[in-house]
Amino acid sequence: MDNLKIEATKYTPKVSFNAETNVLELEGECYPENIAEFSKPLFSWLEDYLSHLGNQAVTVNVALSYFNSSTSKMLLDFFERLEAEVANNGKNISVNWIYDPENDSAEEYGEEFKEDLDSLSFNLVEKEE
Amino acid sequence: MQLENLYYLKTELDTQGILFSFSGPISQTLLLEMGDTLRNKMTLEKATPSITLKVFSMLVEQTQNIIHYSAEKRTPLHSKEAVSDGIIVVGYENGRYYVLCGNQVHNNKVNRITNELTQLQNMDKEALKDYYKEQRRKVPHADSQGAGLGFIEMARRSVTPIEFNFQKVDDKFYFFSLKTSV
Repeated sequence: MDNLKIEATKYTPKVSFNAETNVLELEGECYPENIAEFSKPLFSWLEDYLSHLGNQAVTVNVALSYFNSSTSKMLLDFFERLEAEVANNGKNISVNWIYDPENDSAEEYGEEFKEDLDSLSFNLVEKEE
Repeated sequence: MQLENLYYLKTELDTQGILFSFSGPISQTLLLEMGDTLRNKMTLEKATPSITLKVFSMLVEQTQNIIHYSAEKRTPLHSKEAVSDGIIVVGYENGRYYVLCGNQVHNNKVNRITNELTQLQNMDKEALKDYYKEQRRKVPHADSQGAGLGFIEMARRSVTPIEFNFQKVDDKFYFFSLKTSV
């Protein structure tokens, strides 16, 4: 299947979902006026990808230096969709929440997602300079 | 407006510690520009990255609240971007940054907003965190174009409880104003 690549804009992150390497990345800032418009292609790609996915290890790297409250809802939906695949279909998926240590909110947001997820492996990773 | 009054208006804004203000049609494009300007200005003033990001975050939530919920919201035919009338102010007083936003709302929204904000005012940070996580799991409110989490996010990040006010405009509309501080 095709990879999903979307360039960053000033208010949406760079999206790089690679079906060959099984690395899914979001990087940048996310505060669009309409989050559904941004997230729709991501979720439809993800459904297609998960339906073809075997036992390979999948790595999801999320490096968002800022996101607004409606993006927070979208991220939870995204992580829960991955978690369902781990819990119900035994898939091997782990998420790296990459944060800048100078930004104390980013670590806290990551911890809060982690608290809300049970079977999905969710790691807080300090961004390297 | 008399030309001579512009200087008095500017002086008044400076005296109040206002970094910038905008009154009129508010859009996502304007938010981008205001956000960049605010971050540059705060960096020049040697605010820490953490404080700068918190003030920026308040600016985004409050501006998008105006964009989504102003009763004076219009979307031009040729554009996907909404333009909503309102006012946004960022200032500094007593060692803290503050963000004010204001827009008109229909009078039938006053009770719901009052109840929600009063409930948030009475919660401590731990209760706000639990409420935020609970609401994030729920399907957005029918009237909500974001995720309906904006007010809770503002209450969580504000170092003082959210202040808000309604002033009657006419039989149909009230002017809604809100203040947070970082």
